Amino acid sequence: MFDAEAFVNEKVEEIKGAIDGKAIIACSGGVDSTVAAALVSRAIGDRLLTIYVNNGFMRKGETEAVEAMFKRVGMNYRLIDASDEFFDAMKGVIDPEKKRKVIGERFIRVFERVAREYGAKYLVQGTIAPDWIESGDGVRDTIKSHHNVGGLPKDMDLILVEPLRDLYKDEVRKVARYLGVEVAERQPFPGPALAVRVIGEVNRESVAIVREACAIVEEEMEKAAAAGKMTLPWQYFAVLLPCQTVGVQGDVRAYGRTIAVRAVESVDGMSASYSKVPHEVLERISVRITNEMKSDVNRVVYDITNKPPATIEYE
Amino acid sequence: MRVYVVDNGGQWTHREWRVLKYLGVDTKVVPNTTPFDQLDVDALVLSGGSPSVAAEGDRMGRNGEYLDRAEFPILAICAGFQYMVAHYGGSVGPAAKPEFGRTVLHVDEPNDLFRGLPREFVVWESHNDEVKHLPDSFELLAHSDDCPVEAVKIKDRPVYGLQFHPEVENTEHGNEIFKNFLRVVEDWKR
Repeated sequence: MFDAEAFVNEKVEEIKGAIDGKAIIACSGGVDSTVAAALVSRAIGDRLLTIYVNNGFMRKGETEAVEAMFKRVGMNYRLIDASDEFFDAMKGVIDPEKKRKVIGERFIRVFERVAREYGAKYLVQGTIAPDWIESGDGVRDTIKSHHNVGGLPKDMDLILVEPLRDLYKDEVRKVARYLGVEVAERQPFPGPALAVRVIGEVNRESVAIVREACAIVEEEMEKAAAAGKMTLPWQYFAVLLPCQTVGVQGDVRAYGRTIAVRAVESVDGMSASYSKVPHEVLERISVRITNEMKSDVNRVVYDITNKPPATIEYE
Repeated sequence: MRVYVVDNGGQWTHREWRVLKYLGVDTKVVPNTTPFDQLDVDALVLSGGSPSVAAEGDRMGRNGEYLDRAEFPILAICAGFQYMVAHYGGSVGPAAKPEFGRTVLHVDEPNDLFRGLPREFVVWESHNDEVKHLPDSFELLAHSDDCPVEAVKIKDRPVYGLQFHPEVENTEHGNEIFKNFLRVVEDWKR
């Protein structure tokens, strides 16, 4: 079995040896990067600066919530709003692999700038096993280029430190609980954020639609779970599909967009089965999305595909 | 006990390593180009991977050498299994019905690997190719509704092959299958 205490002790020693001087950590406020931050700060203390980049693709209220968490924990942090830069870079980009590479490069350029100012030569990332496995290598096929592995530009001038590389999500959560990290139970959220939940071009409008739909899915499933109507899935979200279909709203023809609702059960993210969410909950989500977002969305579908053959996220 | 995982580039190679590690085995993932003489092990797991073994046998590195020279037990999974069957004269080709995700396994021979397990249980799959012909030197251990050859043993050796993935969380009794394999390794060591 996995021994979180032994893991922490071993890694803290390793990190002490690996990092001389200062380091920055790329932290989205999710489980992996927050655990990496906690681990590295145990090893090098205030020589670590935590960087949160708002790329414009974060969920509703996320940036504010993450900053509040950083403050509570007393982290040495900086919040960087790079949303204009990210939206500019995403103009006209449709291909999912291109998206991930553009995002990966943007992140690194921001980190390089901050590292230079702070005088750090190390970049800590919360990379976990599925990130490098799915990114592919000499023998492994590329399923998707995770922004923090396959999406890194070749010419980056930071030295990577990735203490969680051999762990899967369930193990990272065990480390999180051991370290008392408060986001230990947060659902997984991809590094490229909502950009990979918009199929097609990522712009302020398409991100706003999927952001609202994601918020409704999260709210309704969390409410149903709290009321004992279902157990909370491992991951649950909305995706904006690149198609329009006909509808009727108040006797008027509608021609709106389609939201796919996705919820899966998994342990490690490497295989997953779709969640058997009660129809009552799905219906409530569908009614809310199509009513509250009526000028954008007039159809909601539920995804019933396992991984494999699908992946959990769409891109 | 030392059991290494030969990396044929699978999505779940590292999962095999994790399962063995959790079972207290001295394990690591090694490239499939590692010379046999450098492997000082009690058993090997040959992982799956993306190569279509019929057409891209060269991407399977030294798997053939391991199979030919090993006297110790081997557990070959997915592409590793297909490669082994082809290596010993069987044939592999595109599956009539490829399987991805959930499938029900029917156990035909409940000895060794399937000891103590139900005759039917859910396993997780991910394969485009399948074994079309099994040589006489092999024994069939299990099948599924869509795939006739899901598990095999070389009759006179402690060498096994699985089309499905016991290392994946969604596969029922996956840990027990590994434990049963480790029992085979213990017996062989005696």
